[in-house]
Amino acid sequence: MKYRQLLILMTAFIISLAASGRCGAVLSEDDQACLGCHEAQQSMTFKNGDILKLKVTAQDVEKSVHGTIGCSACHGFTAENHQRKSYKNKKEFSALAARQCLQCHSTLDNPIHKKLMGESGTGAICTDCHGSHRIKRVRELARGNQYCLTCHGKEMTLTYKNGEKATILVQESVLNASVHKNLSCVDCHVRVSAESHPLRDFRSKRDFMLVMADNCRRCHFDKYAKTLEGIHFKVMSQGNTHAPVCTDCHGSHAIASARKDRLANAKKCEQCHSAVYAVYAKSVHGAALIDEHIEDVPICSDCHKAHDNAGPHTADFRISVPQTCAGCHEKKEIMQKYGLSTKVVDTYLQDFHGVTMKFYRQFGKTDKQIAVCIDCHGVHDIARVKSGNAAIVKQNLTKRCQKCHPGATANFPDSWISHYEPNFSKAPMVFMIDWGYRMFIPFMIVGLLLQIFLHIWRYIVNR
Amino acid sequence: MHTTQEKYIKRFGPLRIAEHWLNALTFILLVVTGLSQKFHNYELSQWVIMSFGGIDTARLVHRYSGIMLAVLTLQHVLVASFGVIALKWQPSMIIHKKDFQDAIANIRYYLGLQEHGASCDRFDYKQKFEYWGVVVGGMLMIGTGLALWFPTIVTHYLPGELVPVAKALHTNEALLAVMVIIIWHIYNAIFSPEVIPLDTVIFTGKISLSRMLHEHPVEYRRLSGEPPAIAEPQAIYEPGDYQVPAEEETLQDA
Repeated sequence: MKYRQLLILMTAFIISLAASGRCGAVLSEDDQACLGCHEAQQSMTFKNGDILKLKVTAQDVEKSVHGTIGCSACHGFTAENHQRKSYKNKKEFSALAARQCLQCHSTLDNPIHKKLMGESGTGAICTDCHGSHRIKRVRELARGNQYCLTCHGKEMTLTYKNGEKATILVQESVLNASVHKNLSCVDCHVRVSAESHPLRDFRSKRDFMLVMADNCRRCHFDKYAKTLEGIHFKVMSQGNTHAPVCTDCHGSHAIASARKDRLANAKKCEQCHSAVYAVYAKSVHGAALIDEHIEDVPICSDCHKAHDNAGPHTADFRISVPQTCAGCHEKKEIMQKYGLSTKVVDTYLQDFHGVTMKFYRQFGKTDKQIAVCIDCHGVHDIARVKSGNAAIVKQNLTKRCQKCHPGATANFPDSWISHYEPNFSKAPMVFMIDWGYRMFIPFMIVGLLLQIFLHIWRYIVNR
Repeated sequence: MHTTQEKYIKRFGPLRIAEHWLNALTFILLVVTGLSQKFHNYELSQWVIMSFGGIDTARLVHRYSGIMLAVLTLQHVLVASFGVIALKWQPSMIIHKKDFQDAIANIRYYLGLQEHGASCDRFDYKQKFEYWGVVVGGMLMIGTGLALWFPTIVTHYLPGELVPVAKALHTNEALLAVMVIIIWHIYNAIFSPEVIPLDTVIFTGKISLSRMLHEHPVEYRRLSGEPPAIAEPQAIYEPGDYQVPAEEETLQDA
């Protein structure tokens, strides 16, 4: 008895407090009567031990789209005829309560409802997704991701036609860490809206991914246009559905900036190109990135390009290699850090191979082969020239020379003065010859001109 | 200056004239295709190379012109040696002490330090300078050119460092040769007040008597036995240096 009086007093106090805080709150008398008890912290325990919280606040009701229809519209009884029923468990209670929804909403028109709640459905009920006392307009809910997450925040499995299973669970934390955190689900999942969630039957998970990745171009059309020139698009268009699409590299819900983490970026390529990646990882560039976390080194996409990667086996790719390497090796601010020369590209371009390459390129004869950087330095296995055993470096170089110069001996690589501008210590003979002529040619020119002028002068004087 | 009555003296036979023009043609081809490679950054070079049909064709032309130059140089050396040794031609291109004295004498004359210039024989020091430039320079270009054409063969026997050395010699010597030809040869053959508008000797093979007397008085005196037309410092002339005139060098009327 004591408790009951206390309860009534407390309830009255809470109601008066709530009412004073909200001017113009309109709750019917019936509803106020319901809340008289239900606004208090209380719960009900089912036979199986499930606990159902019975607390409903006035705020809940007012904010609900159903706020005006009154408690009894759904619950079927008022404070006067509050029935005492017993349920086996919480699920049974909810299912019976949710059945009331169908009195007004013919929900089975919606295919996703049909799938979930129909005969072969999962036994889901309306309130699982839409909530009970805080029911909002569907449109209102759809503004954020929360509405979708009502289902997709749950661990449920869907099955593709080919039997592949996938979870529909999307972690909210993953979405929030994504660069797209300010977008809504429906911005990418375009055929889906709060009102309509068409049921689409994909043959496989890959098919679904391919269709979904198509939506990226709605915003990133520039990148999409570039991919049309790429080898991956070409492979895909030839029917290989394993060729990567946007989401294979960028992720789907966990989309991250490709620029921030270069190692992660390179690792995306490893997913398919693991053999190449293993070689790269041991190269001077790869090792610096992986072992020393030096971000200046090139990752796959720096040389191969990301979206318009046309593949390395084209003549155009080959002939653009010096330019590619120049992208870093001519930049003083990068090379300075590692004590590397910025002259390497220019010394190449001024020498036989570089001049030839330049002319081939200029006149569009890109199919002709001439040594570019990678022919001597290697491709993914680029090693430090000065490191390790000089004899081995030279031996390897001889082998590379022999590819184009059959019969090249161990002396042959020395005929290239190794990207040095001739100087006294590196190429003394060339240096001295150059300087000799540099002084002798002007001396000769001046001498001859002087004789010519003197001759003419004498001729004029004699006349 | 040259009147119709003027007498002409035969100076070059048709073979020597043909040799000059073949050399000239080869030299021009080599210069055009070679310098456009040396100065590949210039637009003109790129135009030249494009006109030849690309760098490969330009190089092909350069190499075959090089063969032509080698053949011309080699035949000249053989013919000249054979002529001098077996046919007793006058070795008129041999450089003597007098050539240096002539050069100094001419400069002194230009500066007004002496009355007359040097009086020269069949070839004066300017001509000898060019001749030996072409022969020695040609040898150098042929040797270094072959090394650049066949680097694998060269490095089979010799150190690899010699290939860039060959390139340095080839490219610098080429520039020197071009400068000498453009400045010195073209001046002496076209623009010099003695010959302007053109020295026709290498076309006709004949030189006018007045020019002969002026430019090659020693040779004229030797051929004709006449006294020199103009006074000259006797001291520098040493008759013992000169041989019997060769078959080509006979007096002839125009």
